[in-house]
Amino acid sequence: MAQSAEAASISRFSRTSHRHIKQGFFSRTLPFWLLLPTLLVLIAIQFIPGVFSFFLSTQSFERGQQTFVGLRNFERVFTSSAFGESLWHTLFFLIGYVTLTLIAGFVIAQILNRKLRLSAFYITVIFIPWVLSDVVVGLIFRLFVVPDYGLFSALFANPNIFPPKGISILTTPPSTPILPDVPFPPAPALIYLIFASAWKALPFITLLILAALQTVPREVIESAAIDGADGWRTVRFITFPLILPTLVVALFNLTLSGVNGVGMVFSLTGGGPGTATEVLSYLLYTIGFGRLDFGRAAALSVFMAIINLTLILLALRISRSEREA
Amino acid sequence: MSKTIKQRTVALVSGALALAVLTACGGAPPATQAPAPAEATPAPAEATTAPQPAEPAAGGETTFVTWYQYDETNTDEKSDERVGNAYLRKTIPMFNEEFKGKYKWVNQPQAWDKMVLNLVAAVQGGGEVPDLMQVGADSVVTTLYQNGAMEDLTDWIKAQPWFSDLDAGAISACTGLDGKIYCVPVAETPQLVFYWSDHFPNGYPKTPEEFMTQAEALKQKNVYAITFFGSTDFDGAATTRFFFTALASFGGGYDDGKGNMLLNTPENVKAVEFIREIVAKGYAPEIVFAGKFQEEEPMKTAEAASFPTGIFGYRYVNPLRAPSGKEYNTKTEKDMLDAIEAGDVKISSFLAPEGKKPSCGLGVTGFIIPKGAKNPDGAKAYINWIMDQRNNADWVIGPGGGVPSLNTTRSAPVFQTAFYKQAIEATAGLCRPWQGTLTNPPEAQKIIATVIYKLIKEDPTADIATELQKAQDEYNRQYAPGS
Repeated sequence: MAQSAEAASISRFSRTSHRHIKQGFFSRTLPFWLLLPTLLVLIAIQFIPGVFSFFLSTQSFERGQQTFVGLRNFERVFTSSAFGESLWHTLFFLIGYVTLTLIAGFVIAQILNRKLRLSAFYITVIFIPWVLSDVVVGLIFRLFVVPDYGLFSALFANPNIFPPKGISILTTPPSTPILPDVPFPPAPALIYLIFASAWKALPFITLLILAALQTVPREVIESAAIDGADGWRTVRFITFPLILPTLVVALFNLTLSGVNGVGMVFSLTGGGPGTATEVLSYLLYTIGFGRLDFGRAAALSVFMAIINLTLILLALRISRSEREA
Repeated sequence: MSKTIKQRTVALVSGALALAVLTACGGAPPATQAPAPAEATPAPAEATTAPQPAEPAAGGETTFVTWYQYDETNTDEKSDERVGNAYLRKTIPMFNEEFKGKYKWVNQPQAWDKMVLNLVAAVQGGGEVPDLMQVGADSVVTTLYQNGAMEDLTDWIKAQPWFSDLDAGAISACTGLDGKIYCVPVAETPQLVFYWSDHFPNGYPKTPEEFMTQAEALKQKNVYAITFFGSTDFDGAATTRFFFTALASFGGGYDDGKGNMLLNTPENVKAVEFIREIVAKGYAPEIVFAGKFQEEEPMKTAEAASFPTGIFGYRYVNPLRAPSGKEYNTKTEKDMLDAIEAGDVKISSFLAPEGKKPSCGLGVTGFIIPKGAKNPDGAKAYINWIMDQRNNADWVIGPGGGVPSLNTTRSAPVFQTAFYKQAIEATAGLCRPWQGTLTNPPEAQKIIATVIYKLIKEDPTADIATELQKAQDEYNRQYAPGS
């Protein structure tokens, strides 16, 4: 009897501890199971194509035969005149696009944060460009400035406004470069492309900054005012540091979309005039989908992936140092 | 609910999601049915290791799949592709009735500028390919040849009764760099010049000097002598259009006949000087450089007196307003045909310097049979059906958009209009494929358009020979045979 009770006790203990072990296993691994679907999706749509792109960048297709060519595709990309030029165009585009969007977004967000009458209406109106596709925005902006027929083409062609001969946004070539091999100053088309892209990105960035501004404690602003800080000093020393993490997010969001976006270039300028608006993403598109040179396109995409990864790592590092500060 | 049950539920849901993702990534089971109906635009499909025979449709028929840039289900009368769409709508039932019990034609429409890409991706990725694809551009054959995407048709095509009736130029446009024939040319699409006869009452100028004199006179009347596609848009499509027409008419071209690019020649330099002068003196409108085919706008309103473009341009250049003010306003291809019939618009070859013959680019529209086609017999039956005199003319004036490659068809009543007569007369024996022996036409196209654009617009003082040589070297360094 005593033996039987002991056996039952052992059995109960065994089941309980087994359950504990199982519970412990699930508790420990639950985050993994929750993340698994996302991980699988990421592996399927990011990791595998990424690895395949790298593989493709070492291949060449001749008469349907695939051959290993090592780093030859990279060499072909980096030694072409189009690559260097498009790298500069990308850099100029990014500087203009990010700066313009951030500054304009910040100013508009500041205005909207003052609780104007009809603020909700303004926010709704401002949000409209965000829901349009890049291609639609590009076509609309193109129609504004088509030579001779565009809504604003006469304005730009007016020599009194744009001396000495007026300009045609889509066709006026860039001025003679200040430095050899550096396509600066850019063509009017690149500046216009920056303007159109900024117009499209402005709503999201404005709302992002507005949301951040609304988290800035009013008491702090009021204290600063009592202490004699004027508007600019308040923005510079109070508002700006408090919303900096959001600005960093906005900055990298803009940079990544600027590096990778192709729709606007495609529909607005087609890379022209000449190659004046040919940015890296557009070059990648034309090499891959226009010239069917998948090996070289893959090599360029690997290069662009490295740029993207560098930017992401930089963003993470800045956010971390912000948190630590 | 206890904690354990919750954990198990979470684990179960996670597992189910994982399974769903794996299933989605693993691909669909092999198709057991006929290909998708025509309205479904196919993406390059799942990989198959080897071509399987076509699946029998109901009644023992085998499906025969085509890729056209036209869509028989699109009934929009304003569509740019309305002519081809209507043609397919009319002929698919005809073919299916005639081949009832044997073949069932299913069309899968493709975007015109993505067809080649989709085919190459499908062939190289081992995906589903059609049994027959419409080709409609000048260098497509070379591009598909370089990507190993077409079946060699040499033996078969030479054995067909209509082969001897084909125009020699059309056959050359379908011949690969290895001398084999890879496509069936049904229509030729030469580049020619449409011009307003009121602006050139004595006919289109025959020489550059004559052109410049008349251009200056037209300029005094606020009329541009010429409009053309001069931008680098569409990855350098200008190379295949007016740039080639001009260079070839001056006795130049793009290749040395051995696969190397050859740009720096005295003839090409003269031709670029000629275009440069046209631009510098304001004989062409600024919109020439805007891209997206907007250069045709001044021709529509007679603000430009002439327009070198492809023969198929007649479908897109409308509505028209003649210099006299007469309107052609159906907003269809009928406008240009009516204007030509009325004598307001005429067709000509381009000009040429003394001692040279005008020339132009030659493309063909026709068919290829892709590598891996499941039903090549169906494709060949279809080609023979199209090349039959009962059906050939319809295809040429429908999807073909050019002049017949079969000499016999040229005498059909439908080609006895002013438009076809002038087009055939203006281009007979003068045109040739722009790419010549170049092995990488898409790359060459971009390089050539960029350098010519630079010389005529961006930097009109640059030394022409030096810049042409630089562009030529850049291409040859990477793509010349043996590079």
